[in-house]
Amino acid sequence: MIDIYRALFVGQIQAASQYRVQSVLWMLFSVIRPVIFLAAWVAVANAQGGRVGSYDVRDFAAYYVALSLVSNLATSWNAYDFEFEVRMGRLSPKLLRPLHPIHYAVVENIVWKMTTIIPLLIVLAFVAVTFDARFRTTPTHLVLFVPSVILGGSLAFLGGWVIATSAFWTTRVHAVSTLWDRAVFIFAGQIAPLALLPGALQPIALVLPFGYMLGVPAEILQGAVDVPTAMVLIAVQAVWVAIFYALLQVVWRVGVRQYTGVGA
Amino acid sequence: MRYLRLLAVFFRTELAYELEYRTNLALEILQMVVIITTSVGAVLVLFNYTTVLNGWDLGAMLVLLGCFYLVQGFGELVLQPSFEKFMEHVRLGTLDFALLKPASAQFLVTLRHFQVVQLAQMGFGAVIVIAGLPRVSTLGPAEAGGFALALVCGFTLIYALLLALSTFAFWFVRIDNLMAIYWSFLDAGRFPVDIYPGWLRVTLSTAVPIGVAVTVPAQAISGRLDLIGLAVLVGGSAAAFVLSSWFWRIGLRSYTGASA
Amino acid sequence: MSEAVVEVRDLRKTFRVTEREEGLAATLRSFVRRRRRDVNAVAGITFQIEPGEVVGFLGPNGAGKTTTLKMLSGLLHPTAGEARVLDYVPWRRENAYLKSMTLLMGNRTQLVWDIPAADSFRVLQEIYRIPEEQFRRTVGELTDLLELADLVRKPVRNLSLGERMKVEFAAGLIHSPRVAFLDEPTIGLDISMQARIRRFVAEYNRRTGATILLTSHYMDDVVALCKRVIVIHRGQLLYDGPLADLAERMAPYKIITATLHDGMASTVDLDAYGTVVSREEGRVMLRVDRHVAPERTARLVNDLGDRLADISVEDPPIEEVIDRVFSGERVGAAT
Repeated sequence: MIDIYRALFVGQIQAASQYRVQSVLWMLFSVIRPVIFLAAWVAVANAQGGRVGSYDVRDFAAYYVALSLVSNLATSWNAYDFEFEVRMGRLSPKLLRPLHPIHYAVVENIVWKMTTIIPLLIVLAFVAVTFDARFRTTPTHLVLFVPSVILGGSLAFLGGWVIATSAFWTTRVHAVSTLWDRAVFIFAGQIAPLALLPGALQPIALVLPFGYMLGVPAEILQGAVDVPTAMVLIAVQAVWVAIFYALLQVVWRVGVRQYTGVGA
Repeated sequence: MRYLRLLAVFFRTELAYELEYRTNLALEILQMVVIITTSVGAVLVLFNYTTVLNGWDLGAMLVLLGCFYLVQGFGELVLQPSFEKFMEHVRLGTLDFALLKPASAQFLVTLRHFQVVQLAQMGFGAVIVIAGLPRVSTLGPAEAGGFALALVCGFTLIYALLLALSTFAFWFVRIDNLMAIYWSFLDAGRFPVDIYPGWLRVTLSTAVPIGVAVTVPAQAISGRLDLIGLAVLVGGSAAAFVLSSWFWRIGLRSYTGASA
Repeated sequence: MSEAVVEVRDLRKTFRVTEREEGLAATLRSFVRRRRRDVNAVAGITFQIEPGEVVGFLGPNGAGKTTTLKMLSGLLHPTAGEARVLDYVPWRRENAYLKSMTLLMGNRTQLVWDIPAADSFRVLQEIYRIPEEQFRRTVGELTDLLELADLVRKPVRNLSLGERMKVEFAAGLIHSPRVAFLDEPTIGLDISMQARIRRFVAEYNRRTGATILLTSHYMDDVVALCKRVIVIHRGQLLYDGPLADLAERMAPYKIITATLHDGMASTVDLDAYGTVVSREEGRVMLRVDRHVAPERTARLVNDLGDRLADISVEDPPIEEVIDRVFSGERVGAAT
C-alpha cells in the first residue's frame, strides 16, 4: 500500500505543477470569504463596545485566520469531480482498476494542500497583522491541533464523499450538495464561532457533525477552548469520523451494485 | 428600439427552452430559497448581538442583502451566461459568426444568453428589500427613483467589470483565473462596503465595484443617499461603460488583425 | 466601373506568430523572452470574380485559402493590398455589406446547441430584419432543398453531423445573401452527405444566382461544383482558370490505358510507346506527352493488333495534377 501511495504521489505532484498558478490564485481568493465575515463581526463588536460574548475584536481576527487555515487544510472538492465522472460515465473504467478511486482523491488533496500552504500562510500573516489578531494558543494547543485538523479534514472528506455517492442514485446531486454546503456554512463555524451561535442553533451545532469539521480545529488552533475541553472535542471528532467511514462503506457498496447493475 | 426587440427574442428563445425542463427549474428555485434563507439567517445571527452594524440597522441590512441578490441575480441572468459563452467562442473560433452579423458585435456577444430562472433570484432580492423597508423609512418617489437609477448604474458597473475582464480572452484565451477575481469579490457585496479594511474597501469601490453596485442602491432606497453620491455613481458607471467598451474594441481589433 | 463581384489586388496577410503556450504563467514568462516568427499566409494574390460564378479555392492545408476567405468576408485586416466585394471594403464590416454576404465554416456552427434550429432561424430573422413574408418563403425553400422538415424542431445537439451541416447551411443562407463564402463545407461528412451538399450548392447557385467562393481540399467538391478554380500554395496564386484546362496547363501528358489478352500485360515491353506507370489486372498504363498521344495510340493499336482488348486515352486524374503542382513539379513530357 505504501508503494502504491508513493506512486500516486509522484503522479499527482507532476500533475499539480501544471496547475500551480491556478491553485495559488484560487487559494488567495478563498481567503476573502473569512475576511468578509471577520469584518462583519468586528463591526458588530465595535457597536457593542468592543466584544461579543467571550470574543473581542482581536479574538475574532485570530478565529477567522485559524478558520481560514483549517478550511484550506480540511476541505476537498473531489465530491464534485466524482459526480461529474458518474454522470459522464467515466467512472466505470476506474471501478475496474484494482484501486479504489478514493485513493486518488486522497493523494490529490494532500498534494494540492502542500502546494498552497506557503502562500496561504503569508497571506494569513498579513491579515493577522492588519486586524491585530491575538491567539491564545499554548504549545499543548498546537500539539492537539494536529490530530484535530486531520480528523476534521477526514470528516469533511468522508462527508463530501457520502454526499457524492448519491450520484449513484440521482442526477440531482447538485441539489443535494447545495443542502450539505449550506449546512456546513451555518454549522461548521463560518457564519460565527460555534460558541456565538444564538439560541437553539448552538445545541444543534454541537450535535451535528459539521462543527467538528472546521469549527473545532479552528477553535483549538486559536486557543478558544481549554485543553481538557479540546481533548473531549477531539474524541467526538474521532467518533464522527468512525461513523462516516462506516456509512461511506455501506453507501458505496450499495451504490456500486446499483450503478453497475444498471449496466453503465 | 431595435436592440430591445433583439433582447426580447433572445429572452423568449431561452425561456422556451428552460420551460421544457420544469423539474430542473423547480429544483433551481428550491436551491435558491435554501441559499437565500441561510444568508438571511447569517444576517440575523449577527443582529442577535447588536441592533446596529456600522450605522446599518437590521432593516437597512436586509435592504442591502436584497440589493445584493438583485445585482447578483442580474449578473447571473444575462451577463455570466453570455460572457461564459463568449470565452468559449474565442476558444473554439466561433466568435467569427458574431462579428459578421449586421448588429453591434459587443451587443450580440455580451447580452446574448439568458438564464431565465435567475429572475427568481432577483425576485427574492426584491422581496427581501421590501421586507426590510418598513423598518427603515417611508418610500417616496425620490427614494424609489434614486433606487431604480442606482440599481441600473450598479448593473452597468458589473457589466463594465465583466466586459473588461473578458476582453483579456482575446490575448490569453483561458482566463479562468481572472474570472475568479470577480467570483471571490462578488461575495463581499453582501455587507456594506464601509465595514471592510481600507484595501478591500477601496478595491470594492473602484477596481471591482461590487460594493458600490450594491451599497448605493440600498442607501438610495433608505433615503440615505445624497445627490452628489448619486451623481458620482451615474458618472462613474457611464465612464466605466465607455472605458470597458473601448477596451473591448481594442481587443477585437487585435483579434481581427486591424492593429497590426 | 466594373461588374465584378469580387476584386482582389495584390492582397497580403502576414502573421507575426509568437510561440507561446496558453495560460497566465507562460504568458508572464514570455514578457521576458519572446520568440517571433513571420508567417506569410497570403503573399500577394490578384483575381476577379464575376456575379453568379462558383469558384473553387484549391490548396493544401496552410496554403492561405482560409485566410483569403477571412479577409474577403471581413474578419481579417490584410497586411497590404486591396479587395472589394460587392463594391464594399470587407473589413470595414459595414452593416449593408454584412447583410448581403455569408460565411459558412465546415465543422463550426453558429447555431445554439440546446435549442431547435427553428428557434435559431427566428433569432436570425430578427438580427437580419427579414420581413415575415420573405422569411417564410426562404425558410420554406431551404427546407425543401435541404430536406430539413424533420430536423428543425429538434435541438441541434441531437442531430447527426450531416444533419447539423444541412441546418447550418440553411441558417447561413436565411438572409438570401448575394455572396457566399464556404470554408471546407463538406469536411468530416460521409460520402452521400457530401454529394447532397454539393447538389444543394449547385442548385442554390442556379436558382438565386448567388456568387459562391468555396475552399476545399476535397477534389470532388471542386470537380462537382466549380467551372473555375484558383490554386493557392504557400500564399501564392499558382493557377486561375477553368478546371478543365488545369490538367492541360499543369500536367501536359495523357494516360493511355491498354487492356491486353492472355495475361500479357505483365510481360509485354511497351517502352517504345511511353513511360509505363503501372501494370495490373491485364492492363498497362502509359504516360505519354499529350502532343504525341494520338500518334502513339495509333501505333499501339496497329502494333498490338488482336492482342489488344481495349484502349483508352485520358487526362491524368486531377488529384495527381494537383499533387504535382503542390510538390512543385511541372510535369514535362514523358519520353
